[in-house]
Amino acid sequence: MQMKQVAGAAFSFFAAGLLMSGVTQTTVHAASSDKNETYERIQKTHKMNWGVKGDTKLMGLMNIESGKLEGFDIDMAKEITKRVDPKAKVELTQITSGTRVPMLLNGNIDSIIATMTITPEREKVVDFSEPYFNAGQSLLVKNSSDVKNIKDLDRKGARILGVQGSNSIENVKKFAPKARIVALPDYATALTALQSGQGDALTTDNGILYGMAVDNKGVKVVGGTFTTEPYGIAVDKDNPKLVKAINDAVDDMKSDGTYDKLAKKWFNDVPGMDWKEVAK
Amino acid sequence: MSMIEFKDVEKYYGDFHALHDINLEVEAGETVVLLGPSGSGKSTLIRTINGLESIEGGQLIVNNQDLANPKTDLNRLRKDVGMVFQHFNLYDNKTILENIMIAPRLVLKRDEAENKETAMGLLERVGLTDQANKYPSQLSGGQKQRVAIARSLAMKPKALLFDEPTSALDPEMVNGVLKIMREIAQDSSMTMLVVTHEMGFAKQVADRVIFMADGKILEDAPTAKFFEHPEEERARQFLSQIVH
Amino acid sequence: MWSLFTSHASEFLTGFGWTILSSVIALIGSTILGLGFALLQIVPNRWANLVGKIYIEIVRNIPLLVITMFFYVVVANIFKLNGFISGTIGLTLYTSAFIAETIRAGINAVDSGQYEGGRANGMSWWETMRYIVLPQAIHLVIPPLGNQFVNLIKNSSVLAFVAGLDLMYQANMISQLTFDTFNPYIIVAIFYLMLTMPLSYYMRYLEEKNAH
Repeated sequence: MQMKQVAGAAFSFFAAGLLMSGVTQTTVHAASSDKNETYERIQKTHKMNWGVKGDTKLMGLMNIESGKLEGFDIDMAKEITKRVDPKAKVELTQITSGTRVPMLLNGNIDSIIATMTITPEREKVVDFSEPYFNAGQSLLVKNSSDVKNIKDLDRKGARILGVQGSNSIENVKKFAPKARIVALPDYATALTALQSGQGDALTTDNGILYGMAVDNKGVKVVGGTFTTEPYGIAVDKDNPKLVKAINDAVDDMKSDGTYDKLAKKWFNDVPGMDWKEVAK
Repeated sequence: MSMIEFKDVEKYYGDFHALHDINLEVEAGETVVLLGPSGSGKSTLIRTINGLESIEGGQLIVNNQDLANPKTDLNRLRKDVGMVFQHFNLYDNKTILENIMIAPRLVLKRDEAENKETAMGLLERVGLTDQANKYPSQLSGGQKQRVAIARSLAMKPKALLFDEPTSALDPEMVNGVLKIMREIAQDSSMTMLVVTHEMGFAKQVADRVIFMADGKILEDAPTAKFFEHPEEERARQFLSQIVH
Repeated sequence: MWSLFTSHASEFLTGFGWTILSSVIALIGSTILGLGFALLQIVPNRWANLVGKIYIEIVRNIPLLVITMFFYVVVANIFKLNGFISGTIGLTLYTSAFIAETIRAGINAVDSGQYEGGRANGMSWWETMRYIVLPQAIHLVIPPLGNQFVNLIKNSSVLAFVAGLDLMYQANMISQLTFDTFNPYIIVAIFYLMLTMPLSYYMRYLEEKNAH
């Protein structure tokens, strides 16, 4: 009884604080409930702000020397922007798995192109484009490891490393229910943890894993893909015009060869990866 | 046999020359009073005797132990050489009785019943039996200093060092403390070194007077001779200022 | 919020349990280490002072996360340390430096006459510390020590960065599973308050009790 009162008091204190600062989720939804609001904003301001990854080789990575973001997702964002609004300027905002959805719902970014798999749970919160990239979940292990595929990890005592906020850690529970999941904040930490023996394998989408294997000699991708992970571009709910414009842009890129050019640019030299496979 | 012997002792605080070429011998059982203006080095000198201050040059032998030697066990030395401070330095977290009993218990491993009996006896001697279970903060300055003397005596020392024991006391408290010190001085086996400004006490109790100024010993004379015919001009000045 | 809690109760409670365990271990460990390093800084031995000073200056001027990562990815190559252990070691060492400084300040605040009285009375350095100076210093440092303990509990959220299974880790996982980035953290905040508020009150009680 007393505990409840304390908890209740603490909660009302927090709720009051958050209402005053105006960042509760209800206010966020109220603010963005106008239909096609994002699309109209892009047309009006001629700016399209993309949430992208900054820590994922090949897809979206901050080049430390040039200070610029580079990768397949980044190039896609630029090409799509051209086709959605030829006058629009591309703005790129680095996001993490944890911040991307709140930033989208708050209107800090207009859309997300950041290795984000289309899932039914996510579709309840955001709207997705058609898939623009077909990834699949795979495993990265140390060169010395005996692990050949996901079945080798379905045993007690096995530890599978993943990244918080990626659906790959939810997936892997289905494929290796006996293993323990160790979820780390970002890919760099997860990779270091793998190298330090904090886990038997690192799992996430193969595109990301290949990116790690390119740069790090001591690790390799094994076992092929055990899921299909269609990446989609996410926008705030109630923006059918923007979703359509993005879908049209991707179709356009596929038919005029731009898409293949980009896929080849980023994935052709990656050992063990078939870029035609992901671009289907 | 000498209890304390300084030979050419030097002491510096950084660049400040606190003790200049000190030569002094105190026999066992002797009572010696140190006089001099403030800042003359009396307190520094007395604090070198039990190692609270280190020396930088010369030799200092106390109770047959060499204080210039860093290997000398100061804890062993201090069992035999007690000290009474100007500001009492009673243990604020201990009762009066514990203040007296703790060092004999830890250092001398004195039996607990005997320890308590000794402590109560000493409290009776300084007239504070009824304060045994109080804390230092509950006592007056004079009472605190009497406890501090009892604490030193509990170790059954061969020598006692008094560093201005009455300077921090209200005037009406001074006599009670001096009375106890006089009684201790009467014990012929106790060596006493007293830094004080109490001339009456010095005249009455001291065997010898040491007069210091600017870190040097200027005069070392029997008490009567010092007060009647001081040889040094500085000493004469000092006496005329104090007495009148 | 209540439904979020009930549907993920076992995760929250597991996290709460790991947070408590880590905090208790780190609290005991850092107090012992902190006391040790405080004494090392004041013991009459120049080399010991130097060792204590170097330890404190290094540890308290490095972010907690860096210390934790050091154990998680570097030391783990030699000794098997999982995220929970690495995080708890990091938390213990990091907090110990602050506790050492707090206790040292408390010891310095005790009138030097107390120390001189003990030494002149024949007691050794350690006896004087143990029976005279430290009891008085502890009394002085209870309020700042309480702050360090509260900080320690909050800092235990560093475990989330190394998959240490604590409250914050569970909140991250739940939030990313449910796409609710608000309520899991409110629930976690309440759990932290359940630890820090009673601790604050208890330290205040000790402070008042000691004032007499």
